[in-house]
Amino acid sequence: MNMLQRQSPVRFSARPVKTEVRDGWTVVLEYAAQGDGLHLIDLSHRAKWDLQDGDLSRFDIAGTPIPSAPNTCTLKNGTAVCRRNRTQALIWHLAGDPPELPEDPALTDVTEASLLAALTGPNIYDVMEKICSLDLKDPAKTTPRLIQGPALHVPCLIMDLGRMGDRDVVLIACSRGYGRDMTEGLLHAGAEWNMAPAGETAFTRLFDI
Amino acid sequence: MSLTLTCPICGERNGYEFRYGGEDKGPRPDRAGLTPEQWCDYVHMNSCVAGVQKEWWFHRDGCGAWFTTHRDTRTGLETDGPDSAAQK
Amino acid sequence: MNRLTHLPTLRIRPESRRDIHYRGKAHPAAAGDTIATALYANGVRIFGRSLKYHRPRGLYSLDGECSNTTMSVDGVPNVRTETVPAKAGMTVKAQNVVGSAERDLLGFMDALSFAMPAGFYYKTLHKPAPVWPLAINRIRKQAGLGAIAPGFKITGVFDELYPRADVCVVGGGPAGMCAALASAEAGLRVILLEARPWLGGFFDYRAAAHPGGGLLYERARELADQVEKAPTIRVFTSAAMTGAYHDNLITAVQQGGDDDPFDSRYLQIRAGAMVAATGCIERPLLFENNEKPGVMQVGCAHRLARTWGLMPGEKIAFSVGHDLGLEAALDLAELGGRVVCVADIREDGQDPALAAALADRRIPYLKGWVAAEAQGRPTLKRAIFSTITGTVQKEFSCDVLVASAGFTPVTGPLDTAGARLAYDNHTGFFLPTDLPPKTHAGGRIMGLQDPLSIETSGRLAGLRAAVDCGKRVDDAVRESETALASQPGPERGSKLVTAPVKGKKTFICFDEDATLKNVRQAMAQGFDVPELIKRFTAAGTGPGQGGIPGHNLPLFVAQTTASPDKHPRPTTVRAPLVPPLMAEYAGTNHDMSKRTPVHDSQAAAGKMERIAVWNRARVFSKSKGARAEIENVRTNVGMLDASTLGKFRIFGPDAVKALQRVYAGDMTKIPSNRMKYAAMCNDDGCLLDDGVIVKQGENDFYFTASTGRAGQTVEWFRFHTKYENWDFHLVNLTDAYGVINLAGPNARKVLEKVADADVSNDAFPFMGYREFTVNKTILVRAMRLGFVGELSYEFHVPSSWMQALWDILAEAGAEFGIQNFGLEAQNTLRMEKGHVIIGSESEQRTNLLDLGLGFLWDRNKPEAKTVGAVALRQTEDQKGRLKLVGFKMTEPADRPPKDGSPIVDDRIRGYVCTARYSHTLDMPVGMALVEDELTPEGTRLAIFEDGCEGNLIHGEIVPMPFYDPDGKRMRM
Repeated sequence: MNMLQRQSPVRFSARPVKTEVRDGWTVVLEYAAQGDGLHLIDLSHRAKWDLQDGDLSRFDIAGTPIPSAPNTCTLKNGTAVCRRNRTQALIWHLAGDPPELPEDPALTDVTEASLLAALTGPNIYDVMEKICSLDLKDPAKTTPRLIQGPALHVPCLIMDLGRMGDRDVVLIACSRGYGRDMTEGLLHAGAEWNMAPAGETAFTRLFDI
Repeated sequence: MSLTLTCPICGERNGYEFRYGGEDKGPRPDRAGLTPEQWCDYVHMNSCVAGVQKEWWFHRDGCGAWFTTHRDTRTGLETDGPDSAAQK
Repeated sequence: MNRLTHLPTLRIRPESRRDIHYRGKAHPAAAGDTIATALYANGVRIFGRSLKYHRPRGLYSLDGECSNTTMSVDGVPNVRTETVPAKAGMTVKAQNVVGSAERDLLGFMDALSFAMPAGFYYKTLHKPAPVWPLAINRIRKQAGLGAIAPGFKITGVFDELYPRADVCVVGGGPAGMCAALASAEAGLRVILLEARPWLGGFFDYRAAAHPGGGLLYERARELADQVEKAPTIRVFTSAAMTGAYHDNLITAVQQGGDDDPFDSRYLQIRAGAMVAATGCIERPLLFENNEKPGVMQVGCAHRLARTWGLMPGEKIAFSVGHDLGLEAALDLAELGGRVVCVADIREDGQDPALAAALADRRIPYLKGWVAAEAQGRPTLKRAIFSTITGTVQKEFSCDVLVASAGFTPVTGPLDTAGARLAYDNHTGFFLPTDLPPKTHAGGRIMGLQDPLSIETSGRLAGLRAAVDCGKRVDDAVRESETALASQPGPERGSKLVTAPVKGKKTFICFDEDATLKNVRQAMAQGFDVPELIKRFTAAGTGPGQGGIPGHNLPLFVAQTTASPDKHPRPTTVRAPLVPPLMAEYAGTNHDMSKRTPVHDSQAAAGKMERIAVWNRARVFSKSKGARAEIENVRTNVGMLDASTLGKFRIFGPDAVKALQRVYAGDMTKIPSNRMKYAAMCNDDGCLLDDGVIVKQGENDFYFTASTGRAGQTVEWFRFHTKYENWDFHLVNLTDAYGVINLAGPNARKVLEKVADADVSNDAFPFMGYREFTVNKTILVRAMRLGFVGELSYEFHVPSSWMQALWDILAEAGAEFGIQNFGLEAQNTLRMEKGHVIIGSESEQRTNLLDLGLGFLWDRNKPEAKTVGAVALRQTEDQKGRLKLVGFKMTEPADRPPKDGSPIVDDRIRGYVCTARYSHTLDMPVGMALVEDELTPEGTRLAIFEDGCEGNLIHGEIVPMPFYDPDGKRMRM
């Protein structure tokens, strides 16, 4: 056994049928019997950066400036950039190969700090309604958008990507330590709609549609 | 449970997302000439008004901002400010 | 019992049959039956026995307003069988009976009621004192409702949901549906809550004509159809509201039906505005034995027939005070029931058409008459009627007596929302006079009885709610106001609720067996306010809350009192308006906790413990006090998972200013390859947190916080700099890095094997900080710290790599006898070194100086306005403070005292913080906080241990640290 393997905070009991080793991570691309219904997808291995600076307007990440209003996002070339507050933004590299972390002290690589999971497919907003009182069903919403608030009593960063291809997509990030309880809680809440763990491809393919 | 607060970043949220940071007492006093009584008052004494007060809240489960808001302590509802006790 | 079939109003599907079990027999039920209607269909008339007197009780309202029909279902006590659907295989038992509900061996209690006047419990059983426990024991056995088996565990799916809406309408009757439709037309999201399993409310079961054309039930279905088609209306049926709170937070509990994935579900709705359209319940008529099985309300009898196809009895008598009662009598007769008489409290004011129809059917119609007494054992056999003056009486043989004095608005939603109610003489209702912001009411709750007025009033409430949500529908509001003004207004309510009787067995509250006589007794003893009479007689304090006595108690008090204040005042209604199960509040109850990156391997090897949010390894070895783990660290090398430590990055132009503000020490001189040990205090100078900090760039630092404080560190920095507008940034890296503490004299030998760097004592000395790779792959931040007092390293490693690094170190250390150690071992190891743990060796009053950590305080930076500095200065020479000391045990000399034991002479002088048997020193030692006079070395301490029965044990102050006082081992 090659000992130098990285580990995700998530453990799914489903059987992986297709995997890929990437930068030390064994990324599951597909699980057995994942189907095409409601999916829960572990993206914890995806690169995540924290950006903090007194003047965020000087930055240009993934070819776009940082959005000026808090909790608004851009999604371009597989990278989501969201404004968190006056001085802070988050950058999640969701698809494709992540770029090198630029040599700027304003940026911190926080990939390791959190669980990142995607909920895709039908009923994802019904699942969210069971685990938080944040208004993900707001008919006036524009996506993508960021919601900073608690789900299952744990502080989360919830990114509502809205409709991507044929599916609704919501990303949830929380402290890595909560990773197992959070994914188990999500699966429990989604059981009535047969939520199933799915591999990374089920998510990244949405960027190609 | 039912308290709501309006975070300047995240908008109106359930009160249990926040931590109370006390009445707004202004910046920390300078050390020079400070008596123990004055210091104790700054740290421990509160006005406890029955009415509109300006207070600090921390959006603990959300964006992590400290902010002030005006709240009518009799109703628990946020208000526009000290001059307008009208409820939002 | 044969069901009425082919009624268009039926809500059962007899073809979907299921059995429920009661008294050892299977009873068939239809889909749509509640447990109560299913039992009634099978001939059950007595559902249980009452609280005090063990009187038989039966169906009364069908909406669960009293405990008459609460039963034990599948081991769950106090289930409101009138509102819970009958599901296949349910086992139902009667409550508070010895024997059976029909033949309760404690039924004789009823004859002893004279011995239990109001206040009997408070006034009789308190002396002599020895009587009290015996009396409690007896009373608890005889009185009470359901009992729960010890160890009973509830099963089922208890879900939760947190929906949002612009408008939440409570009540799915005609008014509620019109309100919901009006708000939805304005483009708003609407939630409609209905306690019954279907929409329709007051119209649903009635075949009377609607003034707008068609029949009432047809109109109900038409409205329900519109509601269901409205895309922005969400309907929750079988959802009973439990409370309204400010800012329009509304809670409800929804019962799951056959096809729902839950048994019940807690709903917590945040809405922009609320409309209460909860309508009315019936006002109980007060007469002798008014709760005898067979006596029921109009809606109960009428709905039994129309909704469930059950003719309530063979011979049905009526005693009513409103036209709805006359309508029900006629409708039951129309459906084939035998109505033996109809007594009407009113002399006049009836709908002449109804009176004429009664005459047509030759039903004796007694105007100005009222039921005075229900007779028969155990169920109703006959009823005595009387003129309201009590002068003339008549007897009618009957098995059902439909009795209802009038209506009572269901104001619970408004009450809990904070509305003020006042008595309205015209309707006889408590009507809202002052509604809280964004709260509205419509329909029968406002005293309206005319179908058109009900609908218009509902629509108006829905439109007003829309205005609250920012919709400009002012024209529509005016239109509805005009329409409502032209329609029939609130109807005059009947004033009489009490038959001319003495009231010995006239029950004002069924749940608590409170009679009119009890209320009179309370008033005779000087209680004059309904709120106090409620408490003294317990009327209205039972599971049904105010449902049955809600209006009758204040009205009766106002009529009976000699006080000139004749304005009845309502008693307070509180949430929960219906009693939920604890399991319903608990919901799915995800117990969220954190796991470290090596959780699985730690849990496989050791005993885990939940400490605040984290799961941590307490102990691995079987030896007492983790002795083997301790000895291995002192002699070989051990490994501890310390991932729970807080880790942070702080950077930016004003980062040093922020550090200077919150840390007691001088933070202007932080080296880049050495750790600086630093402490944070609160404004009282009390120690909050300690950790180390290292410089990693210009205005860029990495620091640690204790496990318990990590969650508040960012908040604390920001709070104490909130007025400053400083430019600095914090990144919480607590979960980004796992931490391995490698400790013991062989630690370096292990590290040398795997580190891609020189880690000799010269190259990497004590308190040093280095970054290097392990196996050319894993980048670690390494700190040489000595919390356990040995040569020791802390490796901060990216979380995803931590298990890999752990395995590498375990393999490399195998030849040196490496073993895991846990928190128990760490606690003794650090205690031997005199290192404090915040919260163990400190409490609320313990400041930095008390702990002997004054060296962490830099007094020469007043401009920084450091948190805690003022208090430290002010308490520096204060006498009488508790100081931290070390002690060893002298008598007995072979065991430590329990943690927390007080240190005493003629008073308490301090307490033991942590004490353990130190195998390293071969004696029990500990740390204690004691008054400053007791601190000199050699002072004898007397320790009072829990359970010592006055035999104090003794210790003696010794210098700290106990182990390796010169710190040579950490530096070797």
